[in-house]
Amino acid sequence: MLDSVQAAVHVSVMHTNMAEPMELLCWGGDWDLPSVHTDSLIVLAYGKFSGAKLAVKSIDWTWRTITASVPQLHYEGTTVTEPTQILNFLRKQRFNADYELTAKQGADTMAYIALLEEKLRPALLHTFWVDAENYANLTRPWFTSHSPFPLNFFVPGRQASLALSRILLTKAESPLLNITEVEGKIYSEAKECLNLLSHRLGNFHFFFGDTPTSLDAFVFGHIAPLIKAPLPSGQLQKHLNQLDNLCQFCNTILRNYFTDASAEKRMDCSPTATHDPVDANLQKLTQLVNKESNLIEKMDDNLRSSPQHRPHRHETKPLAPVSEKNSTPP
Amino acid sequence: MSLAAEAFVSQIAAAEPWPENAALFQPLKEDQILLSDSASSLAVQTFLRMCGLPVLVSCRANAEYMSPSGKVPFIHVGNQVVSELGPIVQFTKAKGHSLSDGLDDVQRAEMKAYMELVNNMLQTAELYIQWCDDYTATEISRPRYSSPYSWPLNHILAYQKQWEVRRKMNAIGWSGKSLEQVYEDVSQCCQALSQRLGTQPYFFNKQPTELDALVFGHLFTILTTQLTNDELAEKVKSYTNLLSFCHRIEQTYFKEHDRESQSGSSRHSKGSLP
Repeated sequence: MLDSVQAAVHVSVMHTNMAEPMELLCWGGDWDLPSVHTDSLIVLAYGKFSGAKLAVKSIDWTWRTITASVPQLHYEGTTVTEPTQILNFLRKQRFNADYELTAKQGADTMAYIALLEEKLRPALLHTFWVDAENYANLTRPWFTSHSPFPLNFFVPGRQASLALSRILLTKAESPLLNITEVEGKIYSEAKECLNLLSHRLGNFHFFFGDTPTSLDAFVFGHIAPLIKAPLPSGQLQKHLNQLDNLCQFCNTILRNYFTDASAEKRMDCSPTATHDPVDANLQKLTQLVNKESNLIEKMDDNLRSSPQHRPHRHETKPLAPVSEKNSTPP
Repeated sequence: MSLAAEAFVSQIAAAEPWPENAALFQPLKEDQILLSDSASSLAVQTFLRMCGLPVLVSCRANAEYMSPSGKVPFIHVGNQVVSELGPIVQFTKAKGHSLSDGLDDVQRAEMKAYMELVNNMLQTAELYIQWCDDYTATEISRPRYSSPYSWPLNHILAYQKQWEVRRKMNAIGWSGKSLEQVYEDVSQCCQALSQRLGTQPYFFNKQPTELDALVFGHLFTILTTQLTNDELAEKVKSYTNLLSFCHRIEQTYFKEHDRESQSGSSRHSKGSLP
């Protein structure tokens, strides 16, 4: 299947140079995201920011779930893996979202990406792959349902063991520590990292002014799954939800660059528009309730004042106007 | 250490002032210490000098095993033992000495980001070159690492350490890299540092911070350590402002140290900067 795609790519290369798409293999999407995998999201976001035409092929339900290292970019016979390498490759192909950055901002980009990798990624891996509740209720079912038989028995387990070994080897400081002692440390570092990112972002739309760059792609790739995934136990998610500017940042990117993916769910796309129908509905409902309560009051009065119920003598006065209205309702 | 224990320790730390007999432990300087450990140790020494805190450097063959986290260097202050630059910075902060108090939140975020860049790129590259490059590992790293021990312990420990480092490289995805790619990464990291430093004396203008200590530790060690080839040092030398940065810190904080070390400079280290 890949050969035929490559052949098609070769044919179109002879005609045009830039226009034919580069093929990107990545995990599929869910929870309003184009992909649930951090590295794939980074490449997808950067592709949108730099205007590169990427033909996205999801590896769900294929054998590539266990054979391929995702994300993978195929172009004219070359294969590039790893987000950093893919971004370098795209830049060489003149799809550069960092064109307007100064040298210092470029250096800052490298530094912040290192910060994300060291401080945030271990906690993300732990939240999705090592935390027992999340793994059993969310991650494993998702990856199992998106892998073909018989790989669905192996794929989640393999990813989970890779994640655990990565956390232990980089963060557990001596051979004697086990995962529970490292947990506290990695979560506090991740929360600190999120706070630092929030401070750096401030009130701006993107990290370097008004146009998104590769740093925005990296941050988006890391925090978007954390915001959008319905995690049963997510202390890091709760912490992130308190940082409004990061949530806004994520939603802005989704709204402006990935509207195709979330077109079915318009409610989430445009949060402001939903307020109006909700308010209108609420108003109508309130009016109906008020009318109902008025009617109920009237009926109550009628019942009290009806002759069959042996009315009190001192209520004869209101009887007159009530009995007049009594005739009109059916 | 769990979070509660850390808070407890920093409370106790705050109670006592810095004693005179604080000691820093590292592996043997002449025969045993390797590039990455030497860089970390120098970074901590520079930081303590910048804070004006006296510390006695003491070399032990089993420093790695004495350390609470398995990593060198570690300091023994009063009745507490703290290892690695990050916890040591927090520890000195609890005692009331801090270099980064004058920074605002955004600058602090930048400083932490750059420190992670150095740890992520430079330190990992140093470990890679020492242990994953077969030639360097055979000629330099394994003999030096196991020099205090007799046969067969020296073989066992050296291979065990090499296996551990290679596992770690595998986990973070560096095992697929070639040596040229690693040198390229070091060069990019130095370029980022050089661009951030610009023409300023220190990374955050006039005052040195722990970032300056960390960068100095790594760059000075790379420049003054003899490996199988000089390519790593050449990559760093091509950035002149980083060279002058290292000179400046060496002159400011290590003048006495230089006078002592020149009389007994080791085979491995070339002593002062060329």
